[in-house]
Amino acid sequence: MTTAEKLKKILVEELNLEEVTPADIDDDAPLFGEGLGLDSLDAVELVVIIQKHFGLEIKDMDEGRTAFQSVRALAAYIDGRLKS
Amino acid sequence: MPPVAVTGLGCICAAGQKLADCMSSIFLGRGAPAPPVRFTSNHPVRYPVFEVAGFPDDPAMIRTSALGLHAAREAFADAGLDRDSLALLRVGVCVGTTIGCAMSNETFCRQVHAGIDPGMGPIEVIQRSNPAAVIAREFGLSGPCQTVVNACSSGTDAVAIAASWIRSGICDVAIAGGADELARITYIGFISLMIADDSRCKPFDLNRKGLNLGEGAGMLVLESDAVRAARERKARAFVLGYGSACDAYHLTAPHPDGAGLRRAIGEAFAEAGISAGDLSFVNAHGTGTPDNDRVESRVLRDLMPGVPYLSTKGFTGHTLGAAGAIEAVLTAACLERGEIPANAGFSTPDPELIATPVREATPITGTVALSESLAFGGNNSAIILGRGESS
Amino acid sequence: MTHPDSRIVIRGIGAVGGFGCGVAALEQALSGGEVRPGRVALPMTAVSDMAAFMADTVLLKDFLPVKALRRVDHYSRLALLGAHLALADAALPEADRAGLGVVIASGHGATGITFAFQDSFINDGDICASPTHFANSIHNSAAANISIMLGAAGPSLTVSQFHLSVPSALLTARQWLLERRVERVLFGAVDELSRLTSHYWCRQHGPAADGTLPRPLRTGADTAIPGEGAAFLLLSREEDAANGGYCTLDSVTTGRNLPPGPLSASPGLLLLGADGIQATGRRYAEAAAGSRIACYTPLYGSMPPGPAFDIASAALILRSGVVFPTPAGDACDFPAAVAKGGEPVGPGPVGILTLDDDDGHGLISLGSL
Repeated sequence: MTTAEKLKKILVEELNLEEVTPADIDDDAPLFGEGLGLDSLDAVELVVIIQKHFGLEIKDMDEGRTAFQSVRALAAYIDGRLKS
Repeated sequence: MPPVAVTGLGCICAAGQKLADCMSSIFLGRGAPAPPVRFTSNHPVRYPVFEVAGFPDDPAMIRTSALGLHAAREAFADAGLDRDSLALLRVGVCVGTTIGCAMSNETFCRQVHAGIDPGMGPIEVIQRSNPAAVIAREFGLSGPCQTVVNACSSGTDAVAIAASWIRSGICDVAIAGGADELARITYIGFISLMIADDSRCKPFDLNRKGLNLGEGAGMLVLESDAVRAARERKARAFVLGYGSACDAYHLTAPHPDGAGLRRAIGEAFAEAGISAGDLSFVNAHGTGTPDNDRVESRVLRDLMPGVPYLSTKGFTGHTLGAAGAIEAVLTAACLERGEIPANAGFSTPDPELIATPVREATPITGTVALSESLAFGGNNSAIILGRGESS
Repeated sequence: MTHPDSRIVIRGIGAVGGFGCGVAALEQALSGGEVRPGRVALPMTAVSDMAAFMADTVLLKDFLPVKALRRVDHYSRLALLGAHLALADAALPEADRAGLGVVIASGHGATGITFAFQDSFINDGDICASPTHFANSIHNSAAANISIMLGAAGPSLTVSQFHLSVPSALLTARQWLLERRVERVLFGAVDELSRLTSHYWCRQHGPAADGTLPRPLRTGADTAIPGEGAAFLLLSREEDAANGGYCTLDSVTTGRNLPPGPLSASPGLLLLGADGIQATGRRYAEAAAGSRIACYTPLYGSMPPGPAFDIASAALILRSGVVFPTPAGDACDFPAAVAKGGEPVGPGPVGILTLDDDDGHGLISLGSL
């Protein structure tokens, strides 16, 4: 399973995305606002989710903002940090 | 609405265990947050907090209620009221809190997790510790008993509710305020929301990163004119007006334009029959979180331009359900003193915030001040206090 | 300044509990005189479950899209359902929601999600604490969710005074209306039977014997069965209630000064909040001696919001003019005239008495429109 696929499954489960399946999530769709419709509270939850599932700490939201653009961006961010 | 007299004040927080000690410490610019002593955390960062040092835990009740009781004792003594004199009056109690009503105990939860049948002791202590009921029992109060759990505006709301009871004749006297202890659950919670500063909080500063939690209690004795006349007691302050409105916007984020806060302040002005020009100063909520301070400074600039303002959270930390009450007490005491302290933690102005807080202890003119609170859940409350007769 | 000349009216009722959902379900339960409890799981004790009056929030989907509820826990769902039912019952136009004041009474708050928040950091370390769970665990989460979903931008108040939460909160709700601080108040009481509260209840009282029902007027034994649910009332001043309502809310008193012995001024009918708990049962028997009484708690169970269900029941009585039967009314073991059901409520107010085990009391008085 690719990081992006794993992420989609985690997002649906951990954020209780109602009426959305992992397959429905477009890799490039924005996570916040339009797109998945997440908000500021989901953003901080996402920080915890990344910590819990990937062991990566995101120290502040400036760091998070870039990574949280889309599933593709987040997967790239995670893969990049796991390699280094 | 007619003013309601305040005849007694009590305050305990990191700045001191009595109001006079808090005031002298604050005006000397003393105090700094430090990592919590009362509990540990396995979080890699140690976030500083404002703890009340030298206040022992009471096994019979939760710390929140012990802090509330401590401030209530000071306020009643200040008002010259004891158990015997209170027994002859209809006395209500209204206390704001967050932790004081939470049916949560980590020891209990950990036992459940470990597969151990959890003991009910901690939960039973919580059941006996309702912060308003503890004060009612201790002083034998016979009137209405109300614990307000409006998150961070609870203390402000509780004082205003008690004022309403006095105005309408439901009570002769009311003790009102707020109490909250520093707890692991809120400490971890605010860190998880990424709105805790890992250094001293910096309300309204460019480099603000979040709040420091604090603990404590503030209490005010409110009294009807009839009882006060009979007791020949001078007022230390007056409650002149109050307004409250909900953003109806988001669970944790304030409305970006401060919609609810604007309405709350407008209502408070109308109720007190004053305008912004009458204000000596504003005791702002000023938690030091980026969002709160941005919204608040915008509203301060628009509705109360030129009025000096400060946040006292750089001395007390954010005491959650107690904050509005502690700040109401400090507001009354500053009106009495004719001076407000510096907004501790502020050094670099934020170009995005047009209004800036006072940087040093500043003499004030006038007799009226406003204290405001913004809460999770979107509630906004503003209370207007007037200087008493004893200063 | 209060305006003693303006009467406060109950315009709408929303109720969800072990009896079902909505004012019609409550009325049916009251007329039928019996509701069988369900079961609540007890994961922390040797006993696997116990009898309890559980509330179902499935009908919330009639009012709100599923997506809007993804972060909303059972406690807030109960409250949201009660709130929407009350507004629908009052047929309040959507435009009138903006100025609504919201007052919530809750004995224990969102205990289920508070427990889940602690789970999150006990399981995975403090750094993995869930901010969403934390935000929803605050005591005013139900009030906040209601304000957000209804767009109710008036003042918001949540009161937690255990079994006296309802009279205490209602006192302030009434003040807001008398002071003309708001045009209308959406008042609600809510509590959930979470893992924690059901465990606590079981430890304090023990599970009810299989097949038994509460017998609150038999004060010599503990016969209580716990409940959960939400009861909401839309309140306004009389001049706003031209399009109807149930009854008037004439007075609310609460405190710790109820003189011992029977109530000094007995209303036309006194609804007792007695719920089968022995410790408070004796206090009820003493206060109600000689009164004409009714008691409907066996239809919703023992819980802090109980008095709000009592108010809803009394409002239905006052609208129809006819008293409902008291479940197991013949089991009354103290000297009082228990309403049999079917008889006229008669003149005089209907009182709702709530007593706790800490010398506290609440007395709410309702009158005919």
